[in-house]
Amino acid sequence: MNWQVFSMRAPCMMATKRLCSGWSDVLFRLGLLSSLLSANVQVLAGAPSDDEVRKEYFLKNVVPVLQKHCSECHSHQSGKAKGGLVLDTRSGWEKGGDSGPSVVPGKPEESLLIAAVRYRGPEMPPTGKLSDEEIGVLERWVADGAFDPRTTAANAGPASSDMESRRSHWAFQPLTMNSVPDVRDSGWSEAAVDRFILSKLEARGLHPVSDADRYTWLRRVCLDLTGLPPTVEQIEQFIGDESPEARKNVVDRLLKTRSFGERWGRHWLDLTGFADQIGTANDVFAEHAWRYRDYVIDSYNKDKPFDQFIREQLAGDLLPFESADQRAEQLTATGFLLLGDLTIVEADKAKLQIDVVDQQLDKVGRAFLAMTIGCARCHDHKFDPIPQDDYYALAGILNSTQSVHKAAWGVWSFPTEVVLPETELQRAERMMQTVQHQQRLEVLRQEQSKLQASNTEIDAAIQATEATLSQAALTARNAARSEGDAATGTGEGAGADSTSLSTTVSLLKKLRDAQSARLRKLNEEVQHAVFFAPKPPRAFAVQDVAEPADMKVTIRGNAHALGKTVPRGFLSVIGGEPVPNDAAETSGRRELAAWLVSEQNPLTTRVVVNRIWQKLFGEGIVSNVDYFGLPGEHPTHPELLDYLAQRFMVQGWSQKQLIRELVLSRTYGLSSIEGNNDAQKADPENRLLWRMNRRRLDAEALRDSLLMVSGRLIDSDGGPALPLEYPENSGSLDPAAVNPPFFRLGRFRPEQHFERTVYLPIVRSAPQSGPGELRNVFDFTQPAEFSGQRSVTSVPTQALFLMNSTMMSDTARALAERVLESPGEDRQRLEFLWLRTLGRPIEESELSESIAFLEELRRGLLTATDAGSELKCWSQLCHALLASNEFLMRL
Amino acid sequence: MKVTDLIRLSGRREWLQSTGCGFGGIALAGMMADKFATANLISGEFSGSRPAGPHFSPRAKRVIFLFMSGGPSQLDLFDPKPYISRLHGEKIQPPIPGHEVTVGVDRYLALAPELPIRPRGQSGMLISDLMPHLAEVADELCLMKAVHTDNEAHAPATLQLHTGASIDVRPSMGSWFGYGLGSENQNLPSFISIHAPSDVRTFGSGFLPASHQGTPVSVPRNAQESAIQYLQGSGTSADLQRQRLDMVQRLNRRLLDKVTTDQQMEGMIASFEMAFRMQTETPKLVDLSQETQAIQQMYGIGEGRTDRNARACLLARRMSEAGVRFIQVTMGGWDHHGNIRGALPQTCAETDKPVAGLIKDLKMRGLLEDTLVVWSGEFGRTPWSQDLSGTSPIEQHGREHQPESFCAWFAGGGTKAGLTFGQTDDFGFLPVAGRVHLHDVHATMLHLLGIDHEQLTHRHNGRDYRLTDVFGSVVKEVLA
Repeated sequence: MNWQVFSMRAPCMMATKRLCSGWSDVLFRLGLLSSLLSANVQVLAGAPSDDEVRKEYFLKNVVPVLQKHCSECHSHQSGKAKGGLVLDTRSGWEKGGDSGPSVVPGKPEESLLIAAVRYRGPEMPPTGKLSDEEIGVLERWVADGAFDPRTTAANAGPASSDMESRRSHWAFQPLTMNSVPDVRDSGWSEAAVDRFILSKLEARGLHPVSDADRYTWLRRVCLDLTGLPPTVEQIEQFIGDESPEARKNVVDRLLKTRSFGERWGRHWLDLTGFADQIGTANDVFAEHAWRYRDYVIDSYNKDKPFDQFIREQLAGDLLPFESADQRAEQLTATGFLLLGDLTIVEADKAKLQIDVVDQQLDKVGRAFLAMTIGCARCHDHKFDPIPQDDYYALAGILNSTQSVHKAAWGVWSFPTEVVLPETELQRAERMMQTVQHQQRLEVLRQEQSKLQASNTEIDAAIQATEATLSQAALTARNAARSEGDAATGTGEGAGADSTSLSTTVSLLKKLRDAQSARLRKLNEEVQHAVFFAPKPPRAFAVQDVAEPADMKVTIRGNAHALGKTVPRGFLSVIGGEPVPNDAAETSGRRELAAWLVSEQNPLTTRVVVNRIWQKLFGEGIVSNVDYFGLPGEHPTHPELLDYLAQRFMVQGWSQKQLIRELVLSRTYGLSSIEGNNDAQKADPENRLLWRMNRRRLDAEALRDSLLMVSGRLIDSDGGPALPLEYPENSGSLDPAAVNPPFFRLGRFRPEQHFERTVYLPIVRSAPQSGPGELRNVFDFTQPAEFSGQRSVTSVPTQALFLMNSTMMSDTARALAERVLESPGEDRQRLEFLWLRTLGRPIEESELSESIAFLEELRRGLLTATDAGSELKCWSQLCHALLASNEFLMRL
Repeated sequence: MKVTDLIRLSGRREWLQSTGCGFGGIALAGMMADKFATANLISGEFSGSRPAGPHFSPRAKRVIFLFMSGGPSQLDLFDPKPYISRLHGEKIQPPIPGHEVTVGVDRYLALAPELPIRPRGQSGMLISDLMPHLAEVADELCLMKAVHTDNEAHAPATLQLHTGASIDVRPSMGSWFGYGLGSENQNLPSFISIHAPSDVRTFGSGFLPASHQGTPVSVPRNAQESAIQYLQGSGTSADLQRQRLDMVQRLNRRLLDKVTTDQQMEGMIASFEMAFRMQTETPKLVDLSQETQAIQQMYGIGEGRTDRNARACLLARRMSEAGVRFIQVTMGGWDHHGNIRGALPQTCAETDKPVAGLIKDLKMRGLLEDTLVVWSGEFGRTPWSQDLSGTSPIEQHGREHQPESFCAWFAGGGTKAGLTFGQTDDFGFLPVAGRVHLHDVHATMLHLLGIDHEQLTHRHNGRDYRLTDVFGSVVKEVLA
């Protein structure tokens, strides 16, 4: 029986109530209750004595009152369950709402329902008090044992048959074996993918447009695979390569670059809510978050089988290992569960725990299954076949996992850190660093104690001198007074001595203050050095709790209102088997991962291949890559989706192989520019892919491309994103501090201005600062959510950034410098510029237009006798080109 | 080229759907000499996505939300507790079941307000001597004394105040209002955040269309400061910039000509023109020198301590007059963990005159009637003291955060002027009557603007979302 039903119009979200708010309710009501108990309450005599009579009384008298006054807000019929309460079934009032059971049979004085209708406590119904007669009916009913035969109600949530019909939704069906379809124009297709696409087009009487030219294809594939445009050399090499293997060679080369992982790893990070910050409160730094980011990039570059990638991220700590490296890698992987937006400040630790579990479950559901499992936290899922029990079956697994722990003080909690095993080499390196660190600390401390000692001496000297001075002044005053001439009693006697002593005091004070300032700085440096002393490598990683256990349902998400226990297990719509007995001693995460990647689970592979497809073609086969549920869109090419999913599994879950196959298809190589009237009319959104979709570069690809074409991009092999080695970038390092250590990004490492964007720090609680500020403007992901597809907006702020930011003017100038380094006349330089920035030869009309532009500027600028005016002219042209749609887009 | 031409150029209106109006519209609004001359330049088309309308007749047309960042102490400002004052400096035993104890509060010493909180005006509303200007407009306010929220840390509580949820990415309330009502002036963004909080989610549009996101604005103090980011170029003359921009647009149109149609490209072309005009028009818009001396003085412009907030409040009035639907003004400095007796008077002095000036000004212009002003922190503060050092005398203690109950007030917009609603226990800790959750505040705000908070939903990832989550009821008692 589903007793918790919300308004069908109402959105349904997790209902989390703070303990305290619940508590104050309870306290409030307890007070009222005690006053009620002392009141003289009339209990009617002569109540009906057998069930028949009770039933008649109930149906005739009680039901009409409930229907008339309560059902509007508390019934399945109205679709409302205010305060979590429904009154049209027995179980409804038995379980009650947020404040607990509403009726205690036989005890009207303890029944919240009765208190409420008496207007003692919550006043119900709010529209006006019931008549005494009606209240009497309810009192009598409760006093007589609250007979209520109603076991089911109309619209009592999804009936089991409804759940059954939901299970037939396409996404939950086993993968179908689809043969590659026949097509009329068999000469067109190059890969199986093409025939799936072409057959749909042909069925609608359409045909794909022409292929993109080779320049466009090269820039497209480079940007899609690595997030960077091709270099002039790469363009020339590819255009010169007339062999049939030319494209394959390019793709194979791109898949081997480190840039591939930097691009595709970032796609994955979007699904994890990754940031270099713990939660959102107080800018707490996630010192080791970068290890997870590097793990992801490495995994993509190694082409780690995706099933293994899932296993490691969910249960890396529980997997066997053969080396310290592998162990460290697998532990780091579990950062997946920790590095999203976590609640870390909460006085109510029970609530904090279930909120953390909820955030993790939401992430697992979204990233791997494209499901909104979180919806079932408080009630059966409204649309999808996910009963509430399924939520707690899965939640029990994560609840048996230690993710956060309470800090030593206050209300703070933190993600669990583990020490990673070191290789011999790492250990040796750390030993060396430790020695250096101690030497440095020694130097600092020596200076500290020297200054402290010196200040003590100075203080003593000041004190002594001041004592002398005041003694002298006193003597002088006394002398003056004894002379009986108060008017001249200015301490003549102290005279010159006194002046020089005063000077001495003020000099000493100056020295002391200067030394104190230095000491303060030294203290900070020492504190910083001690805090960041070389330690064995650590990562944010989960582990099983001491006693893994099944979880109890939390009523309406209230951590303190617990219902029945649900055995740990998986989604019932896909297998739904419980965690096997032999794993009950553990959390069950390993089994969860195994279930996700089992051949019986069709969702995971569909979701992953659809995500890959979307990154390459612009739109997913299922257009919402994060939601495959009943109200979502159906796949445009279901047979293709299943074909790819199966192929993906057969090829050992290799993402690189799938990507390779897709980008070498003819469909991928279609023009994105050429129009086709028929197709435009029949399929204006291009869902059938009669042409390639055009896409704006995302924030990372845009910034990285700007750096690259201006010749300033530098390689990085990862490592810490937060420049915490600069003492000014962190605070609260004192062990006695009230708040956890925090960061502020005031100073960046010089190289961070030129590294790929994926390596820059990511902040959750504020705009991205410093070298990565472009991300604020160009639709960077919100690092507090899990989202597989970014929105693309065009807002004037972007235009302002492109026109006025120093990032743009610096880039334009650097690019102009490169151009001016290349020999030749304007014409040759323009050819070079176009190739370098847009990846294609300049057109004749563009050439003349650009020369005219340069000439116009020269006339204006050269009047000023500025040696750099040629550079200025070219900078303007470069700036214009970099701000143009063609540069901002991948065609 | 005007935006109208651009629309003609594209021959379609779809580009607007992908184009957030951002701040650009403002430039076109002409709040200058010919105030609404250009108001309907592209009539009705800026709302872009699904402009809704009110569900019933609204009491207010717009909201000015004064966000007191840090958590003002209701016990020092609006809610005096004789019990606490009597026991000043002594240990009390508050009802705090199941709480983790935070640093510096473990002694539970009662801390009395330093200055008296007295009845004001006809209504007798209680307001501290720390806010003498606000006291003058007490009869315009509708004070809620038992508001509560869910989280005790700044960031999540601030997020909940602004989006209804303390975690995750949800649309901010300003964007919900714009989404529900469209813009009052089609050339203006519906939502402006003056001196916005650092968390971009507080003015973000979440999963609502980007055109509903808030535009962060700061009020420049001189010609060198810019009201919005990247508004001013780096050392390039306007002529040169125009030449370069023309080149960009030539390149853009060349590409656009090759494709049949492209919303993204057209959106960027339009954005560039808007952005260019913003550079010249925005400074005029935010130029407060056009206001009379008397008005400027009423807000406290030019006085050291009040200047920043005064400018923000006056700009808020100008914006509301011009038809911005939701204007947020953030005023910080309320997080008094220590030495509250020294620091609170400072913060009050910085905000009192500007806030009261705004109420007076709105009243004077007849705007208060249909402008809902909301004043609230993200939470309140404890009746017992906090002493982080553990050694300082009670007079130098502060107060810890308290989400269980705090004070917030409405003014105008169909709320009951002079009403004090709700009551807390003897400690000033738990509500005993008129308990109002932030969700209820949101529901009430929407209600006053004519929106049923349960009806204003948006589907995202298969679910309907709303500002009030699955909670919230309209606080009928505060409605006039």
